Amino acid sequence: MNRLTQPGWVRGLLSLVFGLALGSQGLAFLQFLATKTYNPFDVGSWVLGSVVAALTFFAGAGGKKVFHLALMRGLGWQFLGTLAGGFLAEFLRALLPDMEPFGKFGFSEPAWVLGAIVGAVSFLAGAGVLTDWFKWAKGESTPEHHHDPDGWEKYFGVSLDHKVIGVQYTFTSLLLLSYGGLFALLFRTELAKSGMQFLDLNVYNTLMGLHGMVMIVSILLGIAGVMNYLVPLLLGAPDMAFPRINAFSFWIAVPAAVLLLSSMALGGFDTGWTGYPPLALRAPVGIQMFYVGVWVAGWSSILGALNLIVSVLRLRAKGMTAFKMPIFVWAAVATSIISLTATQMIGLAFQLVIFQRVVGMPFFDAAKGGNPILFQHLFWFYSHPVVYVFILPGLGIISELLPVFLRKPLFGYKWIAMSSLAIALVGFLVWAHHMFASGMNEYLRVPFMYSTLLVAVPTGVKFFSWVATIWQAKIPRDMPTPLLFVFAGIFVFLLGGLSGPPNATVSTDLHLTDTYFIVGHFHDTMFGGYVFPFFAALYYWFPKVFAKRLDEKLGKIHFWLMTPSFIFLTLGMMKIGLLGMRRRIADYDPALGFDIWHLLLTISAYLVAASVLIFFINVYKTLKNGEPVTGNVWNSRSPEWQVPSPMPAYNYDRPFEVVGEPYDYGVPGSTYVKM
Amino acid sequence: MEHHQNSGNLLRQGVNVFIILAVLTALEFAVAVTSASMLLLVTMAIIKAGLVLWNYMHVSKLGGEDEGHEDDRESYAFKTETNRLGLWLFLLSDAFLFAGLLVTRFNLMGLTRLPLNQTLGLVVTSVLLISSFFMNRAEVQMSQGNKKGFTTNIVITIALGVVFLLGVLGVEWRLAAAEGVIASANAASAAFYMMTGMHAFHVLTGVIFLLIVLRNTGKGLYNEEKHWPVEAATVYWHFIDLVWIFFYPALYLIGRLM
Ligand code: HEM
Ligand SMILES: [Cu+2]
Repeated sequence: MNRLTQPGWVRGLLSLVFGLALGSQGLAFLQFLATKTYNPFDVGSWVLGSVVAALTFFAGAGGKKVFHLALMRGLGWQFLGTLAGGFLAEFLRALLPDMEPFGKFGFSEPAWVLGAIVGAVSFLAGAGVLTDWFKWAKGESTPEHHHDPDGWEKYFGVSLDHKVIGVQYTFTSLLLLSYGGLFALLFRTELAKSGMQFLDLNVYNTLMGLHGMVMIVSILLGIAGVMNYLVPLLLGAPDMAFPRINAFSFWIAVPAAVLLLSSMALGGFDTGWTGYPPLALRAPVGIQMFYVGVWVAGWSSILGALNLIVSVLRLRAKGMTAFKMPIFVWAAVATSIISLTATQMIGLAFQLVIFQRVVGMPFFDAAKGGNPILFQHLFWFYSHPVVYVFILPGLGIISELLPVFLRKPLFGYKWIAMSSLAIALVGFLVWAHHMFASGMNEYLRVPFMYSTLLVAVPTGVKFFSWVATIWQAKIPRDMPTPLLFVFAGIFVFLLGGLSGPPNATVSTDLHLTDTYFIVGHFHDTMFGGYVFPFFAALYYWFPKVFAKRLDEKLGKIHFWLMTPSFIFLTLGMMKIGLLGMRRRIADYDPALGFDIWHLLLTISAYLVAASVLIFFINVYKTLKNGEPVTGNVWNSRSPEWQVPSPMPAYNYDRPFEVVGEPYDYGVPGSTYVKM
Repeated sequence: MEHHQNSGNLLRQGVNVFIILAVLTALEFAVAVTSASMLLLVTMAIIKAGLVLWNYMHVSKLGGEDEGHEDDRESYAFKTETNRLGLWLFLLSDAFLFAGLLVTRFNLMGLTRLPLNQTLGLVVTSVLLISSFFMNRAEVQMSQGNKKGFTTNIVITIALGVVFLLGVLGVEWRLAAAEGVIASANAASAAFYMMTGMHAFHVLTGVIFLLIVLRNTGKGLYNEEKHWPVEAATVYWHFIDLVWIFFYPALYLIGRLM
């Protein structure tokens, strides 16, 4: 056999190794230029090397045609755009008096910032996301209907089909989940023993901060994926209201993710995911990539939310009045209201720091009348509500799936629907509970304490409804994987909810804040509210998307490995938090006596990661060898299951009509939709 | 039809609204130089904003017209209503950015204000307000099918937009710096430049948007029935004015001189 005709996976693997070596050592060399020390095992270089490796793998396995894919074109353009923007800035600097062009990391900081922005825009232009709009501006019209290529290539091209975009979102989310998870494993390993083992402080901090933000972006893309795929199907619409904006919202998240990760190559940052000044003002250039990356990703959220709200308001099937909408649609709307509006605030907060660093506008410099607390207010005005962005869709999925599996009507439909909105709205009024110890005006503490505790009411409504739905239901003996994840989600979210009020109460929070207790708390809320329901959704709708059913056996292994390990992990975090473990530090005093706990927590973190690996294997195997299933796998009443899988382009051949209640499972003679 | 008032009525309405806005703006100025009552200034800004929202941006069109078009989702009318909703949601989002900037200003400066030239502030404000008036006329002309009148009015609007940009970036920024309002000197000045800068950025995009619409009108792409891009550009332009209705008192009028 000729070398060039070797099977794709061999070529892919060879290129992967090549890319990994090239990427990691190339970056290590760049770092050597900056710092004059060569460290071939630098963690940051290897992580970024893995990005290069992913690309070379792809190119090796797919051959030349890969370079015509929108994704690759976009990345190429982003690279060139970054260089162009950087050189432009350096050129301008050279014209100005007393400015030295170029800096420690090649470009100077302003040049990196401009390069990052130009690079992100270039990505979009290069991938072809903006083409139609340019045509419209020139007064040309574009075809109404689009056709995607068959096979896997459509997922790497600019598609306007909400189902393709939904899958693109979901896979990107899983990719970022892997990165975020990898970062966590790295710094968790460092924590397994007291003393510093193999990370230096800066790398530890960078990994920890990136873990947080990469996971947040992963969650945002994950919910966007599920919402994008499902909402038009649930509404009976052929697509979202604005398919081009939909594509834009997805694609802009890709350069954003690249920017986020690239912060590692530019010295990292040591502020954690919150990026607070004044520390952020002294961090390496990496923090700029972090800020710009989040800022760019914010547009994905904002425009995605806009699209979703308009779709729900405009494209519902006949007869689908507000209180006949699926709960998931309610949740998606509530979520989107937050994303649409509050995202601007974190964008502004980060923008102000970017400007302070680049042009010296002293917004947060107390010596010049600035106010670091202002940053925290702007930041949390988004970052608290966003936790509801994470969980509302997940809680919607729980409410959506419970009745299907328990064959019982959902208890208190209207209350559940309204509770999503109530959580979203009250969620706007609680942000300063993150700032009890910040030195903000003291009189603010009490109102924020009460408003925070108030959120527990609508959240309690949801629990009440779930419990009442489960009450006296016939729970299937051999529980299918999605149902397992739903139950675990409810339980884990309960742990998160119960550990919340102690942080909301000023007197206790002053002790708990900045300890591992908080870390345990929010991991429970986010896993219970997002990760578990997300996996439930993936197992549940996989047959709809790919007309193949994920393997049940592997699914159960995934579940039983992940759930106990995870619960142990977070309860352990809370425990050592109470014993005095601070959050966001790379080392701790062995005299505190919880070395052994840290070791156990690290082991459970690895088990969680292993379980997710099993999930990936399951996906791969099923896509490759799975038996086709086209029918109503779960015996659901929901419209998307009434037609064969997979869905054709533009969804339903004929519009359906809503004639009954969505969740009247087990009620004789009732139907929800007439096809 | 009751929907389509005759052009005389619509134009008269535009004039009336403009006169009220102008009077309120003059009054604001008078209040600012005499008593600087924050309550009065905020109230007047809110009234002005309401007028612009209602009479220039036609917020009532939202959700108003769609009943008859429900059945035909491919129709221009249905799609326009969808687009309109999208545009307004975008503006809502953008409004949060500007609200955040206002929060920044009051957080950093409290009830004091920078030594800015109030008369100049009044002048640039008037320019923007007048541009809104012509924008409104342009839209009315378009909906009457009077392309020539539309073109004249939109060109005036664009020209005023450019004048505003030059006034803020070219004159005001320079004068302010001469008064010691320097971006890197203190946080309050930084807030001033950030607010006017972000607003100017929006004016710039608005001007570009209007130029595109103007060019495409020349190509004959719009008529009295179908001119969604014109409506979008109009609403966007008025939104920029709306933002300034709040920024102007916040920066120039409210508070004691620092
Ligand atoms: C009963 C409901 C909840 C209450 C009362 C509550 C309360 C709190 C409070 C007061 C804090 C700040 C603690 C501190 O920093 O000292 C906090 C932190 C946090 N919570 Fe919750 N929470 C609740 C639910 C949630 C949910 C549903 C999520 C996410 C899905 C969430 C995510 C977080 C995160 C991410 C942090 C840490 C932020 C950081 O400082 O990095 N919480 N929670
Ligand atoms: Cu919070």
